[in-house]
Amino acid sequence: MPKLRHIAIAAEDPEAMAEFYKKAFDFKEVGRPNGYLADGVFLSDGTLNMAILKFKTDQLGKGMDFRGIHHFGVLVEDVEEFTKKLDSLGAEHYIDQGQSGHQAGYFEKKFFGPEHIMFDIAEHGWAGAEPLPVPVKEAAE
Amino acid sequence: MAKLRHIAIAAKDPDAMADFYCKAFDFKIVRSNDGPLAYGHHLSDGTIDLAILRFKSDQIGKGMDYTGLHHFGILVEDMEESAKIVEGLGGKHYMDQSNPDRTGGFETKFYGPEGILFDVAEHPWTGTEPLPVPVKQAAE
Repeated sequence: MPKLRHIAIAAEDPEAMAEFYKKAFDFKEVGRPNGYLADGVFLSDGTLNMAILKFKTDQLGKGMDFRGIHHFGVLVEDVEEFTKKLDSLGAEHYIDQGQSGHQAGYFEKKFFGPEHIMFDIAEHGWAGAEPLPVPVKEAAE
Repeated sequence: MAKLRHIAIAAKDPDAMADFYCKAFDFKIVRSNDGPLAYGHHLSDGTIDLAILRFKSDQIGKGMDYTGLHHFGILVEDMEESAKIVEGLGGKHYMDQSNPDRTGGFETKFYGPEGILFDVAEHPWTGTEPLPVPVKQAAE
């Protein structure tokens, strides 16, 4: 089963916000993204990547002043297979990793789902996020 | 370490949206409810609770028409200790679960930096993984 492995927050001051969550919940800093889409801090709780970002474009159509939870990310086994599935369910493809110089490892494909809610899918995972569980059959071999 | 275990989405049509994520990612509906705060469905990927809710009040000051990611939730070992730490860091207490006997959802809500809402609970959200057993304890 795919796994939720990423949550992104749109912040005005990612540094201060990251400090808060590090001190409050002992989340660990695992990266400092500085890309075409956003700058900020990657935190991890050992399972999920929590990205606290200052976005450089208005991806959601809510304005550059939007502050709050921005999108989430799902780790899948096969991005191409899930792309077909999402398309067939009516999701709108937004952008791929690699377009316009995006850095690898942050996301692979972004979609808008129902009610224009954005999510990423990836098969290689976000910094500090747990990989997909090994299937029981494979683990037994 | 505390764990992120809950992501909540504000939706106009939680039924349709829940159906989409169940079909897309094989997430399972583990609870549906129509409570004082919201109507909707809780989906699980086995680890995290993805709540798809139509809220009944404007908890985040973005208006009742807001749709999008709403808040997240963190599972902690000790609610009281975490509340003290959060408040000591400037987090603002918003509300407590009105029914103290109810577990499997939020226990306390706070606003963190930039007014971002998050829940804290010491009982796992329904259908989610509990906190890992500490290595020392697991070895005993």
